[in-house]
Amino acid sequence: MSLSDALFTAFSIPFMGRALLVMLVLAVVAGVVGVLVNLRGLEFISDGLTHAVFPGLAIGLVLGGTAGLVPGATIAALAGALALTWLDRAGITPDAAIAIVLTATFSVGVIVVSKSDDYAGALEALLFGRVLTIPPDEVAPLVVVSLIALAATALTLKQQLFRAFDARGSRASGNSALALDLVLNGAIALVVVAAASTIGTLLVLALLIVPGAAARLATRRLWWLFPVAALFAAVGSWLGLAAGFALSVGAGFDLPAGATIVGVFVVGYAVVLAASWLVQRARARRNPDTRPPSGGAARPAVAPAVGALGEGR
Amino acid sequence: MGYFERALVAAVVIGAGAGFVGALVVLRRRTFFAQALTHGTYPGAVAAAALGVSVPAGAAVASVALVAVMAGIARIRRQGAQVAAGIVLTGGFAAGALLQAMIPGLPVQAESLLVGSILTVSDADIVLAASVALISFAAVALVGKEVAFSTFDPAGFRAAGYREWPVELLVLALTAASVVSSLPAVGAILAIALIAAPAAAARLVVGSFRGVLLAAPVIGAAAGVIGVLASRALAVAAGPAIALAATAFFLLALGISKLRGLPWKRVDIPVETAEDARIA
Amino acid sequence: MTDSPVLRLVDTAFTHPGGAGVGGLRLDIAPGEAVALIGPNGAGKSTLLKGILGLVPRTAGTLEIGGVTGDAQAHARHGIVSFLPQSADLDPDFPISLGQVVMQGRYRGLGLLRWPGRADRAAVRRALTSVGLESLRSRPFGELSGGQRQRGLLARALASDPRLLLLDEPFNGLDQPNRDALVDTIRSLKRDGVAVLVSTHDLELARLVCDSVLLVNRTQVTYGPVDDVLTLGNIQQCFEGVEVEIDEHTLVVPGHEGH
Repeated sequence: MSLSDALFTAFSIPFMGRALLVMLVLAVVAGVVGVLVNLRGLEFISDGLTHAVFPGLAIGLVLGGTAGLVPGATIAALAGALALTWLDRAGITPDAAIAIVLTATFSVGVIVVSKSDDYAGALEALLFGRVLTIPPDEVAPLVVVSLIALAATALTLKQQLFRAFDARGSRASGNSALALDLVLNGAIALVVVAAASTIGTLLVLALLIVPGAAARLATRRLWWLFPVAALFAAVGSWLGLAAGFALSVGAGFDLPAGATIVGVFVVGYAVVLAASWLVQRARARRNPDTRPPSGGAARPAVAPAVGALGEGR
Repeated sequence: MGYFERALVAAVVIGAGAGFVGALVVLRRRTFFAQALTHGTYPGAVAAAALGVSVPAGAAVASVALVAVMAGIARIRRQGAQVAAGIVLTGGFAAGALLQAMIPGLPVQAESLLVGSILTVSDADIVLAASVALISFAAVALVGKEVAFSTFDPAGFRAAGYREWPVELLVLALTAASVVSSLPAVGAILAIALIAAPAAAARLVVGSFRGVLLAAPVIGAAAGVIGVLASRALAVAAGPAIALAATAFFLLALGISKLRGLPWKRVDIPVETAEDARIA
Repeated sequence: MTDSPVLRLVDTAFTHPGGAGVGGLRLDIAPGEAVALIGPNGAGKSTLLKGILGLVPRTAGTLEIGGVTGDAQAHARHGIVSFLPQSADLDPDFPISLGQVVMQGRYRGLGLLRWPGRADRAAVRRALTSVGLESLRSRPFGELSGGQRQRGLLARALASDPRLLLLDEPFNGLDQPNRDALVDTIRSLKRDGVAVLVSTHDLELARLVCDSVLLVNRTQVTYGPVDDVLTLGNIQQCFEGVEVEIDEHTLVVPGHEGH
């Protein structure tokens, strides 16, 4: 298989073309929402939501076949978001609450799936997705759900950024923190719903986290974060699908497409990381009196590295 | 010992060990980090299964690499700990999924790595879990004061002349060891339940650091046993049953704390000084 | 200059849900007037400022902003009042420039759907010029010094062309050049008819820049022109038992005996 076969002609096959369309829409939306996830530090909450949709997918599948996936997932995502909000207001520390909601919902999902005939197959499909087997009539609902998430985010974008930067100032200027959080968490939930039906629940997090993190490394200009993240996600999806195709058809491995896409995302992140490190070193050599990026060379290397693993920005 | 009795023993040992280390994880707010380890070590588990060696061993090797990667990404100023955990979680898990798909005829089924298979746990797995638990108990018995101090007042800890990184490294190592030894019982995806839920439950009803460290393993062991028994009685998979049992304990604790009207708002366990945090 | 006060409090009290608060407030602030809000720690100065902003419930009396009370107030308040908080816990790595931070001050006027236009960019430039930071407009906010950041946040508060500016201990931790710059800014705001309510510990600074003083300690102690209010007797009553800095000396205010 030639390179251009994998990168271009493969997508003339209908199921590949559909997969690419859905992935590109998801990529743009998740990229934009993912920038806010990054700026607000909502990675773990997003992880919680991605696990929380699993029982919705499982029950939707049991009750309505593949047509029940999106509705089931939506109900579960919103229920999960509500549970997390309720636990947060009850004073449970966020990270323990997220872990509990996450595993409880996932356990319910596993039990539901384990009762089905094709346990292993159903589990795999729900966990790793079925990008390549999306029927044509499901493309439209997925696109609609994604675009609603995008619209909600875009409409409140400047207030979301204000809140991300200065929560207190945002409140003092009359913006409701609760309303903004509901909109953002709702958008994340919708992205999770749309993505979980395609690349699987366990890999949705990559779509929300990696492009935003890569964009943070690539640029320091606020408004460029969004197009950079969307571009990273779009290119990553395209290359991931192409790589999956090449490996499956060309080399005979039956790889879950969701996993190949995430693999390409993570490799892409590593590339951006390496590039940004080289750029920093080059800049530091040109301007020797600027602050070092880690803020202090005197401390032993282990301490800041190990200490930095703590949560709570 | 029949397989069921062995599963119960494993449930007690693994539940207690995970619950105990989970207390440290939850109190120090490293839950996402632990979660990243549970998922990120999946490729190690797959590789170990393919090579026929002990699954926790493969996961342990992977965890060393993961902790290093996470620490590296976390210290980049524009990235941070949450990004690091997210990257490791998804990258590791995708690597495991790809590895599993590429290796024909894995001796273990994928689900058992993901959701556990306590009914087929081996003696070696139990011994490993027991060792990890005993080492954790011993470590905390020795340096529990310092751990408590650094958990509740990092600035004061540093100001008193201690260095943070040995405590942090110890807790990270114990977390990784605990995650790895929980895999046979509950698998990669559900391991965080045994780590977080018993400790979160204990914290709701017990008001001292030492109390949480004592209560969490008891709750963890109980969740393990109840899960195994329920799985037999209700004919469901054991891993999810254990996770749900742990969650049930948490909900029970939540109910009790509400009834008691404890000050369960977002206030850390009231430890005023290092002296009050004495555990030994 | 209009006759009606920008801010009027009549027997007003603001109380946090937990119980702490400040009450017995009675004052008028006219356009172009600068009022110093003085009291010991825990006296309720921040509570008063937040109460005016609507962030702490009003439990007694009336609050009139720009002549408006009641339901219309929330909208009016945000068009009229701006707030500079005491310290901002801002992430220095957040990828935002000074100009973009100041633009946030214009958002309230834009509402949800509209995006900044030419008038907003002009307002941002005016605000930056008035605090002397126009040349740093494109600089990342995290790269500014502490004093520059505070001036930047002041510019954000000014960008919405407020009629009343609330400043919560703005002089804390400022070095002399920055203090002088802030004094100049307040004076020029007064000339433009902006009313200023500034909470401060620094009695000399109050005397330097303010027309009136409000002394509080959980409840209003007294209010009036600066020379009338800043007397030893009033300070004693307000700061009983508290350490106070005055004329570069530290004075522990003795309590009353049988007053």
